[in-house]
Amino acid sequence: MANLNIDSIKDRTFDAIVIGSGMSGGWAAKEFTGKGLKTLMLERGRDVKHIKDYPTTNMYPWEFEHRGEMPMALQEANPIVNRCYAFHEDAAHFFVKDKEHPYVQDKPFDWIRGYQVGGKSLLWARQTQRWSDFDFEGPARDGFAVDWPIRYQDIAPWYSYVEKFAGISGNKDGLDELPDGDFLPAFPLNSVEQYFSKHVKGKYGRHVISARCAHLSKPNQIHLDQGRVQCQERILCQRGCPFGGYFSANASTIPWALKSGHLTLRPHSVVQSIIYDETKGKATGVRIVDTNTKETIEYFARIIFVNAAALNTNLVLLNSTSHRFPNGLGNDSGVLGKYVAFHNYSAHISAEYDDFKEWTTDGRNPAGGGYIPRFRNLRKQETDFLRGYASGFSAYRGQNRSWDGVGSSLKENLVKDDLGPWSVGSHMMGETIPKEASYVALDAKQKDDWGVPLLKISMDYDDNDAKMKKDYIDQLTEMFTSAGFANIKASSDHRAPGLDIHEMGGARMGNDPKTSVLNKWNQLHAVNNVFVTDGACMTSTSCQNPSLTYMALTARAVDYAVGEMNKGNI
Amino acid sequence: MHRRTVIKNLALIIGGAALLPSCLQEKGKASIGLKNVDVSADQEKLIGDIAETIIPKTNTPGAKDLQLHLFVLKMVDDCYTKKDQQDFMTGMGQFNDLINKRYGRVFGDCDTKQREQTLLSIEQNKDPKITTYSTELKIFYGIVKNQTINGYTTSKYFMTKQVVYELVPGRYNAFYPVKMKQAV
Repeated sequence: MANLNIDSIKDRTFDAIVIGSGMSGGWAAKEFTGKGLKTLMLERGRDVKHIKDYPTTNMYPWEFEHRGEMPMALQEANPIVNRCYAFHEDAAHFFVKDKEHPYVQDKPFDWIRGYQVGGKSLLWARQTQRWSDFDFEGPARDGFAVDWPIRYQDIAPWYSYVEKFAGISGNKDGLDELPDGDFLPAFPLNSVEQYFSKHVKGKYGRHVISARCAHLSKPNQIHLDQGRVQCQERILCQRGCPFGGYFSANASTIPWALKSGHLTLRPHSVVQSIIYDETKGKATGVRIVDTNTKETIEYFARIIFVNAAALNTNLVLLNSTSHRFPNGLGNDSGVLGKYVAFHNYSAHISAEYDDFKEWTTDGRNPAGGGYIPRFRNLRKQETDFLRGYASGFSAYRGQNRSWDGVGSSLKENLVKDDLGPWSVGSHMMGETIPKEASYVALDAKQKDDWGVPLLKISMDYDDNDAKMKKDYIDQLTEMFTSAGFANIKASSDHRAPGLDIHEMGGARMGNDPKTSVLNKWNQLHAVNNVFVTDGACMTSTSCQNPSLTYMALTARAVDYAVGEMNKGNI
Repeated sequence: MHRRTVIKNLALIIGGAALLPSCLQEKGKASIGLKNVDVSADQEKLIGDIAETIIPKTNTPGAKDLQLHLFVLKMVDDCYTKKDQQDFMTGMGQFNDLINKRYGRVFGDCDTKQREQTLLSIEQNKDPKITTYSTELKIFYGIVKNQTINGYTTSKYFMTKQVVYELVPGRYNAFYPVKMKQAV
């Protein structure tokens, strides 16, 4: 191999390597380069440059061949990704198609992936809430998983740090269960959302707040410095935003890191494994396959961050075996790959409200409406199931435009300005319990095109989830009924786990190396220069959307890692 | 004229010339290329006449002006299951036979009243026990109707001249008086 000469090794040596370029990888790269470290970011997919590579972003509805609908042949060839709410003609190019990257479903699991620079940060639903100590203390209080090695006060300053840069809109609602952040102005609740908020506060002491989201409602200088401007309320986010109106790695962290001059971004690089040096007792680099040339290349660094997205991070660690770690890097405890979990999104409620007829809305709400923080089992155990759920809540008014009939009367109906009643809707976002029986593992036989074993996924709903779902439906139905909503319809779908796109765990944080993979700094207990700060690190799932927490943990871990490096400990 | 515009127009002309051969279509075939359904020129005309009855030309453009029948065909060809496509073709044949039997002529030669009454009668026939119209015929009509309106309400004409679509609203007013909306 020609590239074994010394110059070549020097060219392939960095201060830090970040595996993955999405939500958390982008932050790792930004933080490392901001501290002057020469950083290599590896991405298995293609490059997606901000604005330039958003081919559909400025297209009008009539410019889509099928007006947004996916052709049947593509739907039938992609039963898994086709179930994702955002898989349409305008954004399909950002999703992994089923046959491109197979995996093994021991139990049904809809694995939704975005293999490109920016990853799923291009596609996310942009809801951002802090965790509180009700979440970090959950496993210890309720006796599941292991105790989180951190508490709210450990992460609070880092929430502020990432919020200021990413730009999070919200109100300071003063809730213990959903700590306030460094917010840009919130997108307000509309008349019916506000009515419902007052109603449930008065009657139940529960809260409906403006959903907190990663949109620039009113940008600060730090956002303008990123080349981002105010959100234009297009709600076409999944196409990639030419305004940088919402936070994505593509619009924010990656260009920032590139501007430093310290980042090397390498797309088309599938990581096979992390290289462990038995004599040094450290990881020395990573082994990749260039997907274009099929060449295997090794890169070296003092610090390695694994941000490949929750399940793929497990895959990389499990596949990084050595004499010292025959069952995967840092897997002395044997829990690597286990205790994975997700969010239960399988219940919805809709209704109508025949009031506030003098009000409607104008324009579009990027936040999507209201958010009901968890109220169940919050301060103490109240039910026969553990933990609780958050709920979305939104109200909207559509035009009554009947498609009945034919001819000129139909044409007139189609342009009628006749507003219908308010429709209201809610969806459940339930915490699920990580269990040893829920796991990901390497398939013993099948490998992908780059010689990496396929990932086998096995997780499912349990009795706790069923009870919680029933409680969500009962509680929301009661809240809707007492609010005077009519025509209430609760529905429960049979989606597989995964469609929530909140898979977490497998390399959980914990105090005890015997029962966890990472310490309180997201550092492998057993290999002190390897860190995991994406969804794989999560000890429990809470019911908040997780991305903001990944961002904060990442910035915190980089700060720690660089400090340790400067002290000579790494 | 700006140089850039000239080049663009030239490209359009050249592009048009390149497309010409495809206009010399096989006689009797639909005017657009279809992969999954075999539609004849006569059938294309029938769908055009049905679409025009649904969205007729008034003082504003109708289905044919907006080529909605071609959109219907495109959607049938690309966005429906094999079963739906088969039912669509079977239903279309049955529709033709029915018109012939009822009026002794093709749909396009019927007067407006006959055409509208036929379509309304299919549309209003929701009782599955009444078998005046077969399931396939109703599927055929349902697809033509839905896709004609879909194509109409998402056409550039409709979204710029009738109910204006804003790509960049640049605002969210959570409390907006209905009165203001109607005044627009």
